[in-house]
Parts: sequence; C-alpha cells; structure tokens
Amino acid sequence: MNGHEILPYLIIIPLFGAFSMPIVNLLGRKAREAWAVIITGATLAVGSALFYSVWENGILVYTLGAKSPLGQANFPIRIVWEVDLFGAIMVLMVTLVGFLAVVYSLGYMKHDTGLDKYYTLIIILELGMLGIAITGDLFNFYVFLEIMSIASYALVAFRNDTWEGIEAGIKYMFVGSIASSFILLGIALLYGQYGTLTMSYLAVKLAQNPTVTAKVALALFIAGLLFKSGASPVHMWLADAHPAAPSSISAMLSGLVIKIGGIYALTRILFSIYGHSVSMKTVGWVIIIFACITLIVGNAMAVIQNDMKRLLAYSSVGQIGYILLGLGIGLAAYGSQTGEIAMAGAIYHTFNHALMKALLSLIAGVVIHQLGTRDLNELSGLAKTMPKTTFAFLIGAAAIIGMPPLNGFASKWLIYESSAIFNPILGAIAIIGTAFCTAAYVKVLYTFFGRPNERVMKARDPEGSMLWPIIILAVAIVVMGLFPWQISDKVMIPAVKALENQLAYISAVLGGA
Amino acid sequence: MDVMGSIVYPIAGLLGLYGFVSLASLLWEGIDRKLVARMQRRVGPPLIQPFYDFLKLMSKETIVPNTANYMFRAAPVLALATAIALLAYTPMGFTPILASKGDVIVFIYLLALISFFKIVGAISSGSPYAKIGAAREATIMVSREPAMMLAIFAIMWRLGKLGVDKPFSMGIFYQHNIWEIGTPMSFVGAIILLYVFCVWLASEIEVGFFNIPDAEEEIAEGLLVEYSGRYLALLKLTKALKAYIAASLVVAIFFPWGIAGHLTGLSADVVNLLFHTLKVFILLFVVGSVFRAVTGRLKITQAVDFLWKNVFLASLVGSLLLAMEVIM
Repeated sequence: MNGHEILPYLIIIPLFGAFSMPIVNLLGRKAREAWAVIITGATLAVGSALFYSVWENGILVYTLGAKSPLGQANFPIRIVWEVDLFGAIMVLMVTLVGFLAVVYSLGYMKHDTGLDKYYTLIIILELGMLGIAITGDLFNFYVFLEIMSIASYALVAFRNDTWEGIEAGIKYMFVGSIASSFILLGIALLYGQYGTLTMSYLAVKLAQNPTVTAKVALALFIAGLLFKSGASPVHMWLADAHPAAPSSISAMLSGLVIKIGGIYALTRILFSIYGHSVSMKTVGWVIIIFACITLIVGNAMAVIQNDMKRLLAYSSVGQIGYILLGLGIGLAAYGSQTGEIAMAGAIYHTFNHALMKALLSLIAGVVIHQLGTRDLNELSGLAKTMPKTTFAFLIGAAAIIGMPPLNGFASKWLIYESSAIFNPILGAIAIIGTAFCTAAYVKVLYTFFGRPNERVMKARDPEGSMLWPIIILAVAIVVMGLFPWQISDKVMIPAVKALENQLAYISAVLGGA
Repeated sequence: MDVMGSIVYPIAGLLGLYGFVSLASLLWEGIDRKLVARMQRRVGPPLIQPFYDFLKLMSKETIVPNTANYMFRAAPVLALATAIALLAYTPMGFTPILASKGDVIVFIYLLALISFFKIVGAISSGSPYAKIGAAREATIMVSREPAMMLAIFAIMWRLGKLGVDKPFSMGIFYQHNIWEIGTPMSFVGAIILLYVFCVWLASEIEVGFFNIPDAEEEIAEGLLVEYSGRYLALLKLTKALKAYIAASLVVAIFFPWGIAGHLTGLSADVVNLLFHTLKVFILLFVVGSVFRAVTGRLKITQAVDFLWKNVFLASLVGSLLLAMEVIM
C-alpha cells in the first residue's frame, strides 16, 4: 500500500467523524456509539497501515495542496507532513489506545449526559495527537497541540457537576495555556529570525546561522513541553486532572497526551530541528536533571497515595522520568552506542507505558464504576469478586515495575543499562525510582488480595465492552513481553537511527533543491 | 534451528533434574529431622518420613476458606512452577542447562518470586494470621536480599576479570573460583563472604534465628495457616526444592570442585551431580540442622537489625576486599 495515499485519511477520518457527530447524534444513542467506534476503528486501520508502510519504506512526506512543497521557489512554501519511524510508532500507539478507550467508554460513560459532546471531544483529542505525530511544520504543530490541549481541558472538566472536575479543569487550563503560549512565543521568535516554519528547512537555516534567538526559543520550547509532559516540578496538574477525569480520558491523558504533546514533540524539536545547531550535551544534561527529579518525586509520591487514580497519576509522572532520562542520555551521549540504546529505551518505554498505563487506568475506572470509590482503604479483597479485573491489574502492575516476562522489562532494561554505562549515579537513581514504584504497586496488590470487606462483596466483573479493552491490552503486554529483543532490534533501534539521521529528515522535504 | 539441541535435550534435562532434586531434597528433610532428633537424644522419624507426609497431604481433603480469592489456589502452583523453572538456572556440579550471559539476574529474580508467590497466596487467604506472616516474610526478604546481591555481583564481577566467555552467568563458577585469586586480601574477603552467604542461606530457608514468618507459637504457622491438603503439600515441596537450590548456589560459589576427573559427557555430569548433592547436604547440615538445633528465633525487629547492621555490612567489607586489587 502506498503511504502517500493513506496518510491524509489519518486526519480526514477523525475530522469527518468529529464534525458529523452532532448530526449522527440525532439518530439516537446507538448510532452515536456505533459511529464513534467505526471512526476510531477506521483510524486504527489507517494508523496500522501507515506504520507498516513507514517501517517498510522509510520516511514519508506529504505536501498539502501540491505535489512538491517547494512550488516556484527553492524553499518549502507549503505545509508538509513528514512521518519517520518514530512518528509512525506514535501514530500506531495513539490510534490503538484511542480505539480501546472509545470502546471502553460505551459501558463506562453510560450514566453520564451530554455524550455527543464527549465522543466529539475524544475524537478531536485523537485528531490533535495524530496531527502532532505526523506534522513537519512548526505552526501546524502548534495548532494541533492546541487542538489536543483544549480537547483535554474540556474532557478533564467533563463531569462539570462535580467540584473536583471543575477545579482540576481550571487548574489544567490556566497553566496549560501559559505553557502553550511559551511554545507560540518560541515559534514567533524563530519565524522572526529565520523566516520559515517548515521544520526541515528551519533546521538548515539554524545550522547556517545559530543565533541567541534560537537558544531563547529552545528554552521556551523545553519549558512549555516539559509542562505538557508532566515533568517535575510542573507535574501538579496531572495529579489533579487524573482523578477528576473520566477513566477513559485519564487512560488517554497519561497514556498518550503527555507523551505526544510532551516527549514526542520535545524529541522532534531537539533532534530534527535543533540537531547539531546547539550543544547536545548541555541540552541533554538539562533534560537529565529534570528526569532525575521527576523520577524520584513521581515514584516517591505514588507510594503515599490512598486514592487509586492519584497513585496512578504520580506513577505516570515517575515513568515519564524514565523516558526523559533515556531522552536526556540519548542527547548527552549523542552518536555513541550508549546514546542509541538510551534513546531506543525511551521510545520503547513510551509505547509500553502507553499500553500499561491505559490498562491500569481502565481498571481503575472499572473499580470506580462498580464500587463508587477510589479510596484504596475501602477496596480490600477485590480479587474475590472481580477476579478478571484484578488479574489484569496484576499483569499491568508487574509490567510497570519491569518484571521479566512482560514488556516493561526490556524497555526499562535498555534505560538502566545505558544510564549505568553513561553515569552510574544516574543508574542508581533509576533503580531507586523503581524501588519506590514497586512499593507503590505492591501496596495496591496487598489491598486487592486481602480480606474482602462488605462493600466489595457486592462488586462484579464489568460488562463486555469494558472488559474487552482491558483483556486486549493485557494480552498485548504479555505478547510484547515475549519478544522484547526482536521488537527492540526491528523497530526501536531503526526508529532511533532515523531520528538521529537529521540529514535524511531534511533532504526528504528539500529533495533536489 | 537445532530442535534436539535447543528444545528436547534441555526439557529432558530439566525433567530429570526436577525428579532428582525432588527426591534428594525431600530425603534431606528426613535426614535433617533425624539428625536434629539425635542431637536432642530422641530417636526421630524414619528417613523417608517426608515422603509419607507428602503423600498423606496429597490425599487429604483440601479446604479453601470462603474469604479466599483465586490467588489462594494459584499461588502454590505458581510457586512450585517457579522453583522448577529455577532449576534450569541453578549450578549443580555442572554449568546450568540454560546458562547464558547475565542469567544471575534471572536466578535472583526467580528465587525472590517464589517468596512473592507465597506472600500473595497467604494474603489471598483472608486470614489475619497469614497476613502478619506475609508482612514478616516481606520484611525479611527485603532485608536479606541486598547483602546477597551485593556479594554475588562482586564475586561475579571479580571472576569476570579473570577472563570468561559468558560474564555474569551461573556457569562462571566452574571456570574460575573465588579461591583462585590467591592474594591474602581476597582470601579474607572470601571468608567474610562465606559468612554472609551462610547467614543468607539460613534466612532463605528460615531456620534458627530466622524462623519468623511461620512462627507457629505466636501466629499459628503464619504464612501457611490456611493451607491444607494438596496445596500444603505443594508448598512443602517448594520449600524443600528452594532449600536445595539456595544451598546449591553457596556450594557453587565456594566449593565448586568436581570429582569427575577423566570422565566426560553424561557420566561426568551424573558423578558431579551426586558429589554436589553430598556437598549440599553437608552445608545444609551446618547451616540448617545445627543452627536450628542450637538457637531459637529472633524477634522480627532484631532479625532486620541483624541482617542490615551485621550481614550487609560484612557483605560490603567482603566485597570491597575482594575487589581491592582490581580497583586499586
């Protein structure tokens, strides 16, 4: 299949789905739900085909409006979309988790009102994330980032009859808007200095004439995107947004939004635009410092939580620390074997954590849905009445700790190994983070498998539409865990190679010019 | 792919080892009980008493408490399965069946996983006594493993410096051993580490000072309080296998010598396995039987203090002494 032909459908399908939702909604509840599932399912099909195409044929460039981005001039004048293997992995991850979250919503959101808006927003959220992953234009990136952010503000505050939904939504929106404006300011500075918004052409201009403005813009990008990724010390919105949001949304928030809007964008800007124009070592160490703080703060705070979803939120912060650590080492040891392994570990862990955290969030949703409480002290002995759900939780928790036959092991191993080679102190910090993480999840397991209390005795495993996404994610975690090194060699290492090859990224757009 | 060499032979070897180690480890329990009885001027049970016990437990009715969840029934099976899988990575007079680069981590992981499954099974019973036992087991586990991990990584790293084809593999002990280094400093370090491993072994098989998680007088058999019938039999078998495996590790590190001499192939492995079993029995006699007969248990807080302030410290000193010539 030709990647050029299918790439636009990645945007067309969700856009069409979201805009037609109010009309389809007139046909009733069933039609609305079927429409949401069809749209996200079709997006998943396109996303998988796109991933396969990029994996086979390398970088994919698509120009909006013409055959070539160059037009009459010898520089790009049109918006380009550029998907390399890293972007394709993100596309696959977003479409997969997005589809499962929508299927899950059918059962989970049954008791809420205003669901036409809910499904519209969730498809728009997916659309924004897909746009970020495929775009090769800096302003286009900002637009998609805002689409994603605004949809997620609205979804966090979706249950606007609860005080905590409104509180978390306001908090998220205020600080999130400031972070977005940092990014917009960075883009404005770069445009004023270099006069272009195409990422690859900007990379050329930057290499020819690195200026202070570019560095200021980079600082603004890092500040804004670290916020979006939930790194410490700007992680506080995440811990509030998670418990307040519906669980299908928190699965997408911590599985996808913080990675696409934070990690992916940061990686793309640092590797593909700034490439060799700034000192990779300095930037790498800046990221590493934030990574270490994030690792320790996130995991340590997870241990002391009594609210199940808050625990998962802090655990997401902690896992973002690992990904940032891999990214930082990948930058600081740029071009060496160590840097490559670290970056592969970061990308691999991004994908794995999306699956694991989506699984755990969906399970938390099931528990809340069945029992109406998130307080871990009241959930003792859940395994008695909800065996399938708790077993899936066991798998998810073991995977996130990094136990061998599951997928979290290989990705964390790559990060441990590279950080131990790069600097043993960083390796020790990573291990300490994992010790906290283990303590946090063992605490939850200890509760789930304990003596059942009265409240728990009335609970049951959920209906099929809520159970199947959980089963699919758990199976994916186990199956990916059986072939860790094959996946790493066949997908993740090539993705890093493509990412580090800035020249290929540039010449794919500029071509013969 | 070579189907015979990579699939059939390892599976056959693992099954064979499982059969042998089950018999040997249960037999050791019989010997142990007999010897302890003699030390206390009793006659003691016959040597094959553990086999009778096992068969009797297997034939008894199994009672599952109505507060228990599915992990109560799954945990004994998973614990035994983990112990069997661990046999493939255990050095038993010859290089383990599945030895590969870095498999020491798999060994430590699986050994800890057995305890973890026991803990999960105990919690899942819903009995508060079992829960106390599980909490104690977890506490002891967290306190005892760092000393062992530090020591074994230091030893493997040091032996790796002597030149081996698979660094950090359990097969390494049959290429070089700790006494070969030969300097006085490393000799003292090795003696200190031998002490560390003996205490670790005692706490791993929970005898003497460390018979805390199942403390029958205070918390009514602790971890195993709710288990009966078949599940109890499986757990007892797992415990016996684990004692053999943990002792095998200590024997392989400190006394790896074989007596096969000019023999090769299967016969050499069988001779080495038998000789290794003898060494395991001697070690278990010293660390298990004697220690069990002459001391009582500590309080849980004392045991944790002892493991951190004494054993871990010794492990640190021993590892540093062992590593000294290389780092200086």
